[in-house]
Amino acid sequence: MSELERALGGLAWELDVPETPDLAPRVLALLEPRTPRRSARGRWIVALAVVVLAALAATLAIPDARAALFRLLSIGGERIELVDELPELQLRADLELALGERVTLDEARRRSTFTLRELEEPPDRVYVGGQGTVWFLYGTPEATRLLVAQSSLAPPFQEILLKKLVTPKTRVERVDVHGSPGIFLSGKTHFVLVLDRDGEIVEDSARLARDVLIWEDGGVGYRLEGELGLAEALRLAASLR
Amino acid sequence: MHQGIAFRTAYLLTGSASDAEDSAQTGFVKAWRALPRFRPGSPFRPWLLRIVANEAHNRRRSAGRAYALELRAATTEPSGNAAPSPEGAALAREQQESLVAAVQRLDEHDRDVLTCRYLLELSEEETATVLAVRRGTVKSRTARALARLRMEVEL
Repeated sequence: MSELERALGGLAWELDVPETPDLAPRVLALLEPRTPRRSARGRWIVALAVVVLAALAATLAIPDARAALFRLLSIGGERIELVDELPELQLRADLELALGERVTLDEARRRSTFTLRELEEPPDRVYVGGQGTVWFLYGTPEATRLLVAQSSLAPPFQEILLKKLVTPKTRVERVDVHGSPGIFLSGKTHFVLVLDRDGEIVEDSARLARDVLIWEDGGVGYRLEGELGLAEALRLAASLR
Repeated sequence: MHQGIAFRTAYLLTGSASDAEDSAQTGFVKAWRALPRFRPGSPFRPWLLRIVANEAHNRRRSAGRAYALELRAATTEPSGNAAPSPEGAALAREQQESLVAAVQRLDEHDRDVLTCRYLLELSEEETATVLAVRRGTVKSRTARALARLRMEVEL
């Protein structure tokens, strides 16, 4: 290295470079889609579901650098936050209790405030959650191969918020779900928590979930959970009618 | 984690704190949106800095401001046993000021490559990614820029 190069190198830290501003708030504000204003009625009816994602293996880990970029992301009525560590959770063994009241498919159709989309294959079990979310379960609660959830994002349910806390080991991908913006979360398993209308975690509501595809279409939030892979999840999303 | 290097890159390329902040901020947003195109396993830092640098170039050109960097205010306190004498420090300071002035007079391409290689301490490979040129171009531009600098400063 020549003397000139050494002098240039020495210059690097002699330059008056302003202190780095905190860019995160403005970046996040630009990334976060606008959420609908809360209606007066909605304020008390809010019920939140929190999905806490914990990849149990590093094979699907997102790069550390991606984690550094990604602290918060919102889509539809859902929000995903990156955290360094997950809270300690007591897992609920009973999936049925976590999903809500078990009903017939006809009953779910009748109670839903929007037209339910259904797969060609009828679900083995149907549940209606506390905030009106309709769950289709394929398989059994003990051996579930697919969960389909549909939630109204229209008033008074517009404040329903799915909030996900992910570790850097979870892959989070923005995807196009047949023209609608979506997110595909993958990892070995993750936790799902239900919050009450005050935003408090419902005791013992934590449960395990797998890969999740989330998207919003026509004021309805959709979720597919299972060991699907992105291609299969997108295929199933297209066949929901 | 990458805020510091992103802002520093943008500042050294634009010479303006406000342009640097805007460039880094826009760079992060664009990088987030471009993440699906990021190849897993490739180095992330130069990929991000390339996006930030591109924003910085755009702002620098549209602002049309003169490029200006300054040295930090000189310290009057000796910094340890190896501190130079006051005369020596003054000379070093003078050399640094003339070097900064000479760097500022370089054309954009020469200045950018020296900024990446010496002020940001990026490797040739990283510099090639950030400036979106071949590694060979980094080598040739660096040699040319150093030759031009040598004509202006006594080092």
